[in-house]
Amino acid sequence: MADRTKDAFTYADGWTAVSTKMITARRLTLVLVYVLVVAGVVALFLIPDVPQAVAWAALATAVIVFGWLWWLIARRVRSFGYAERGDDLLVSSGIMFRRLVIVPYGRMQLVDVKAGPIDRWMGITTVQLHTAAATTDASIPGLEPDVAAGLRDRLARRGEQRSAGL
Amino acid sequence: MTLPDPAASPSNVGDDLGLGLTLPGRGTVDEAGRRRVHPISPLVHGVSALPIGFIIVIGFSFGMVEKLGPIGLLAAVGLAVIFSLLVTAWKYLAWRNTWYWFDEDGDFRVDSGVLTRQQRRLQLSRLQSVDVAQPLFARFFAMAEVSVEVAGSQDSRLKLQFLTLVDARALRSEILARAAGLRHDVGEAPEAPIASVTPRDLAVSLLLRSVTAGLLLLTILIVVVTVLSSGWGGLGIALITGGLPILIVITEFIKYFNFTVAQSPDGLRMRFGLAKTETRTVPPGRVQAIEFVEPFLWRRWGWVRLRVNIAGVGHEDANGNKEETLLIPVATRAVAEDLVQRVLPGLAVDGMVWHEAPERSRRRSPIQWRRLAVAWDDSVFAARSGRVTRRLTVIPHARTQSVRVTQGPWERALNLASVHVDSTPGPVKISGRHLDALTARNVADEQSVRAEQARAGDHSIRWAEGE
Repeated sequence: MADRTKDAFTYADGWTAVSTKMITARRLTLVLVYVLVVAGVVALFLIPDVPQAVAWAALATAVIVFGWLWWLIARRVRSFGYAERGDDLLVSSGIMFRRLVIVPYGRMQLVDVKAGPIDRWMGITTVQLHTAAATTDASIPGLEPDVAAGLRDRLARRGEQRSAGL
Repeated sequence: MTLPDPAASPSNVGDDLGLGLTLPGRGTVDEAGRRRVHPISPLVHGVSALPIGFIIVIGFSFGMVEKLGPIGLLAAVGLAVIFSLLVTAWKYLAWRNTWYWFDEDGDFRVDSGVLTRQQRRLQLSRLQSVDVAQPLFARFFAMAEVSVEVAGSQDSRLKLQFLTLVDARALRSEILARAAGLRHDVGEAPEAPIASVTPRDLAVSLLLRSVTAGLLLLTILIVVVTVLSSGWGGLGIALITGGLPILIVITEFIKYFNFTVAQSPDGLRMRFGLAKTETRTVPPGRVQAIEFVEPFLWRRWGWVRLRVNIAGVGHEDANGNKEETLLIPVATRAVAEDLVQRVLPGLAVDGMVWHEAPERSRRRSPIQWRRLAVAWDDSVFAARSGRVTRRLTVIPHARTQSVRVTQGPWERALNLASVHVDSTPGPVKISGRHLDALTARNVADEQSVRAEQARAGDHSIRWAEGE
């Protein structure tokens, strides 16, 4: 029988958190995006027709948004967690819009392991589960490569044991 | 294989128009048993391309056609004919390279392609449905296309264009028989009609759908107000609010015209269409989820629309359009119940215990909160919603792909959460919205267990084997 919990989005035996390296990776992406933003703000200061006040306002907004995103990334990353139960996998994520996905092992059609250039450089990967439903969307980002590979193999094995038609 | 006698077939789809254009000759068969589609197919493609060619010529002529008068028109027609001939030539090359056959393993194989050769192998044990459709131009030649759908990722649909209607039906029954694990020379399975929709009922039902009826009412209101205030400004809006729903009504009317459902050993067979007639066969056990839709103005007659999710069908057709897959566009309660019993035997929604959304959900959904609830029994999970248009969705536990719990900020403030049971892509989305947060989580956990257990006892892959 399923275990009863006190809160709708927790798991009694605790979540396996994703690597904190993902915070650095996401912040790096943010910095790269901000190179463009900074270029835009500098341009505002250099174009003579733009009033100085507007340029300063843009700079202030950019700085505040940067700080907020910097802080939000840490919270977003910490909100990711997964748990392998006997018959299914739980994935939890989100702060404002919280979500919890439960995927029975027998329903998994394929398990993807992928990493973009920044993630590869930082040494993290994403494990993504696919079922026959497009809405499932169970992806676990920010896993150490060996953890990801282990998880993938375990999931594939359990899926194989229970696999059936649609 | 034996071909069924066309005269014995009860259907009259497509062999109409009385043009007598039925052409002799079947698709060629080579020594290895590989078959080709009908040799007239390139011409059918060419003729279908005529109007498109004409539109392209007019579009790119930059007014030359109008300037030259009758000569311009003649030139445009000439160019369109040349375009059509080019299409025919290209399709001739495609026809020469297209072969289909059943291999030793019983898989359905199709080789095709002119520049890029493609070899496809469809596992019939994974077959979801086989459709026979007659596009408008193919109808002139009494030709039909067969599309085969297997479970799988995108592009799992395979189309064979064109076969004579008789051959298309024979191929469909052969595929279905092989997929069912029967001998493949049993011929077309006999069918018994169950239900049909009269044009009048279809038209009335389409007009009385909640959004359509609302927009039409709004249009009348706008027209009355603008006429009374003797200004004409509002008529522009009226054109949109009135034109759009009428366009939708007409499109759906043409699409679902003469909708009939028949029972055959291959499964439920739906036929519909005015310009393009379609036949869709849904083998047993392929319905992934089902939805009862009851718009407010339909309730007087107890009408229902039945939408279904069928793996691989209807979510996106060849043109990338989202399509609503229907069991029937409109039916009375009794007929709908009968249909549902055929695709989900033993479904008993009435006896279920509903777990309703708490009273505080009124602050999230002031109108529909009383209707929001979920229920389950040994075989299915159900969710209901909607006050004006009532919706009831049902998914068998064995068809549950995954379960989700979500919570937005507004739900969080009220300690509510929504539970979603994921089905294969299609029009039916099963969501129990705005339940008590903890209830939602427990329902989700339990549903995952039920899904896992139900799958153990599921044997609907080769449904006729052993018979």
